[in-house]
Amino acid sequence: MKKRTALLTTFLLLLALLLVACGGGGEEPAANEGSTTTTEETTNEEATNEEATNEETTTEETGEADCASEEVFCVGLVTDVGEIDDKSFNQSAWEGVKRAEAELGAKIDFIETKDAKDYATNIGLFADNGYDVIVTVGFALGEATAEAAAAHPDIFFIGVDQFQAWPFDDDASNDLPNLAGLIFPEDKAGFLAGALAGMMTESNTIAAVLGTDLVPPVVAFKEGYEAGARFVNPDINIISTYHPGGLDVAFTDPEWGASTAKQAIDQGADVVFGAGGKTGNGAIIEVANHEGVYCIGVDTDQWETVPEAHPCLISSAMKLITPGVFDLISAAKDGNFPAGNFVGEVGLAPFHDFDSVIPQEVKDRLNEIDTGLRDGSIETGYNPGG
Amino acid sequence: MTTEQENLEQTTASSVGMALLRVWRGVSVPITAVLLAVVIGAIILLVSGASPVAAYSALIKGSFGDGDAVARTLEKATPLVLSGLAVAFAFKAGLFNIGAQGQLLFGAIIAAALGFGIEGLPAIIHIPLALFGGALAGALYGAIPGALKTYTGAHEVITTIMLNFVAINITDFLANGPWKDTSPGNIVARTPKIAPSAVIPEIGNVPLGFVLAVLAAVITWWLLWHTTLGYEIRTVGLNPHAAEYAGIRVAWITILTMMLSGLLAGMGGAIETQGVVGRYQPGFNVGLGFDGITIALLGKTHPFGVIPAALLVGAMKAGASQMQFDAGVANEITDVIQALILFFVAADLIVRWILRMRETDEEKITLSTGWGKQ
Repeated sequence: MKKRTALLTTFLLLLALLLVACGGGGEEPAANEGSTTTTEETTNEEATNEEATNEETTTEETGEADCASEEVFCVGLVTDVGEIDDKSFNQSAWEGVKRAEAELGAKIDFIETKDAKDYATNIGLFADNGYDVIVTVGFALGEATAEAAAAHPDIFFIGVDQFQAWPFDDDASNDLPNLAGLIFPEDKAGFLAGALAGMMTESNTIAAVLGTDLVPPVVAFKEGYEAGARFVNPDINIISTYHPGGLDVAFTDPEWGASTAKQAIDQGADVVFGAGGKTGNGAIIEVANHEGVYCIGVDTDQWETVPEAHPCLISSAMKLITPGVFDLISAAKDGNFPAGNFVGEVGLAPFHDFDSVIPQEVKDRLNEIDTGLRDGSIETGYNPGG
Repeated sequence: MTTEQENLEQTTASSVGMALLRVWRGVSVPITAVLLAVVIGAIILLVSGASPVAAYSALIKGSFGDGDAVARTLEKATPLVLSGLAVAFAFKAGLFNIGAQGQLLFGAIIAAALGFGIEGLPAIIHIPLALFGGALAGALYGAIPGALKTYTGAHEVITTIMLNFVAINITDFLANGPWKDTSPGNIVARTPKIAPSAVIPEIGNVPLGFVLAVLAAVITWWLLWHTTLGYEIRTVGLNPHAAEYAGIRVAWITILTMMLSGLLAGMGGAIETQGVVGRYQPGFNVGLGFDGITIALLGKTHPFGVIPAALLVGAMKAGASQMQFDAGVANEITDVIQALILFFVAADLIVRWILRMRETDEEKITLSTGWGKQ
C-alpha cells in the first residue's frame, strides 16, 4: 500500500506539472490576442505567464539586436529539405554566403528546413531578426520567398533555382524590386556533358542516373544531356533513369543510384552521368569500380567533393551557384540589386587527371559547342513551362 | 467482453483514488518515457557542445512562445492526431495499418482536386465536400489491404507498405501530369491553388482543422466503446477466432476497420491541403502517416491518448526551427528525442522497472494478429 501512495503522490505532482504546462499553452492565444488589440485583459495567473514570455523575447531581441542595426550586414540562408553539407546545391549556395562573410564582413547564419511546410516560418525567423539579405535555396521555396519579399520590402531576397521574373500575383509588370531569382540554364550544362559523353563512348551507349522528374533542374539536365549526345552522335543509345521514389528519397538514395548505374553498365553503357544529389553521387562512385567506364558529375566540380569517383570522373556539368549567390549579395550591399531573374553561369568542370585522356579534337568540339550555346546558334531544344 | 466492462463498472463504483490510479497506470509509462527522452536528449545536447537549457527554451518558445507559435503547434498536431487515430483504431481490431501515409496522400490530393476543380460554391458546402471527398478517398484506399487480408490472407503490414509506394507515385504523377498547375511560368510539380471557398479557416489562433481532429477523436472513442460495432471490432482484435465463433463477421469487420482507419488518415491529408498547404505539392506531406504509428503507441492506442501525444510531437516539430536558429542545434535532435520517446514506450519494460510497476494484461497493446484467415 505504501508503494501505491508513493505512486499516487508522484502522479498528482506530475499531473499538476502537466496542468500548468497545458494551461500555459492553452492561455497563450488569448493572451496574445489581448496584446495585439492592446486591451490586455489578463488574469493574474496569465499575467505572470505572459511576463515570463515577454522577458524571454526581450532578452532574445537584445541578443540579436546587431542585425537590426544599420551598420551590421546580416545574411541568412534557408535550405530546401536537405542538408547544408549535401556536396551539391545547398552547400554551393552556402559557400557563396560564406564568401560574403569573408569579403564583405557579413554576419551569416543558416537554417536547414526539415518540413516543407516550414519554408515561411524559417524565412520569417531571419526577417523578424533584422537580416538584410535572405537567400533561399531550391525551386520549392519560390512561392514562400515571393510572399516574404512582398511582406518585407526592406529586405533583399535571393532565390536560388527560382523563377522570380513574375511576382506571385502573376502580373509581370510589378516585379518586386527586392527579389531576385538566381536561375541556371541547366540544359546547356547537360548539353555539354552529353556532347562529351557522346564523343567519349566506344560502345555507343551512354546512361544518365537522375533524381526525380518532379524537380525541374533535373529534367533540364537530362533533356540537355540527351540533346547534346545526339548532337554529336545522332545514332547514340541513351539509357536515362529517373528515381521512382518521392521527393523525400529521390536525392538521398545512393544505393539506388549505384544499382541503377551498374544496371546501365551491364547493358553496355560506358559513360554514366549522375545528376541527383546523393543518389547521383552513389551512381558515379559505383562507376569508379568499373574499369573502362567514365562518369560525369553534376552541380559542382565533383572532383573536389566526391574523391571516391576519381577513377572515372572525366568532368562535371556545373552550375556556378557560389559566385552567383555572392554576386547578388554584394549587389544588395552596394544598392544595385537586380530584380527579376538573374541567369547564372554554367559550364563543364576541368578534366583534372583525364586531361591527357581526352583527345584535343573533343576539347575543340566542346569549345565550339560552348560558344554556339552562348551565342544562340545551337539550341538545346528544352523549353520548360511551355 | 465482460471482464473488461465489469472492471470498468467496478472502477467507476469504487473510490476516486482508484480511478486516478487507473489513469495513472495508463499514462505513467508514456510520461516517464517522455521525461527520460528529454533527459537523454539533454545529455546528447551537452555532448554535442550546445546548452540544453537554451535549446529547450528555444524549443518551447518556438512551439508555445506566442499566438503564432501555438497556432503552428496545433497546425502540426492536426494531421498527427488523425494519422495517430487511424493507426490506433486499426490496432483495436488487431490490424497494423502502416499504410496511413498512402491513405493520407490520397486524401490530400483528392481534397485538392475538389478544391481547385470546383468553383462558385459557398464555403459552407465546399469545405465539407472537399474534406469528405478526401476522407472517402483515404477510406477506399484503406479498404484495399482490408479486402486483401480477408480474401487472400495477405498480411496488412506488407500490403500497406507496398501500397504506400503506389500512392506516392500515383499522386506524384497526378501532380506532375493531369492535375499540374498550368499557371503561366510554373514548372513546379504541384496542383493549382484550391478555391478560397475550400480553405479551412483559423478561428483566432486555433486552426479549425484541429477542432475537427479532436472531434474525430471523440467520435472514434464513442464508436469503439459505446456501439455494437465498436464492441465487435475490439472483440476481433482480442481474438478473431472467438469472435467468429460468437457470430461476428470477422471478414466484414476487417474490411470496415481498414476503411475507417483510411478515412481518418485521408481526412488528415484533406485538412493539410485545405488548412495548411492550400494545394497538393509532392514532398509536403512526407512522414505524417508514419508519425501516426509513433503517436498511436505513445497514446497507448487510445483515442484520447492520441491527442496529447500529437500535441507533444507537434510542439517539437513547431519549435525545431527556433531551436536551430536560437541555439544553433541541428533540428535532427528533435528526431532523436522523438525516437527515444518511441523507444521507451515500446521497450516499456525499462520504464516499468524504473517505476517498479508490474505489467497487467489490460495494458498490453495488441499490435497485430496472425496472417489473415487461418
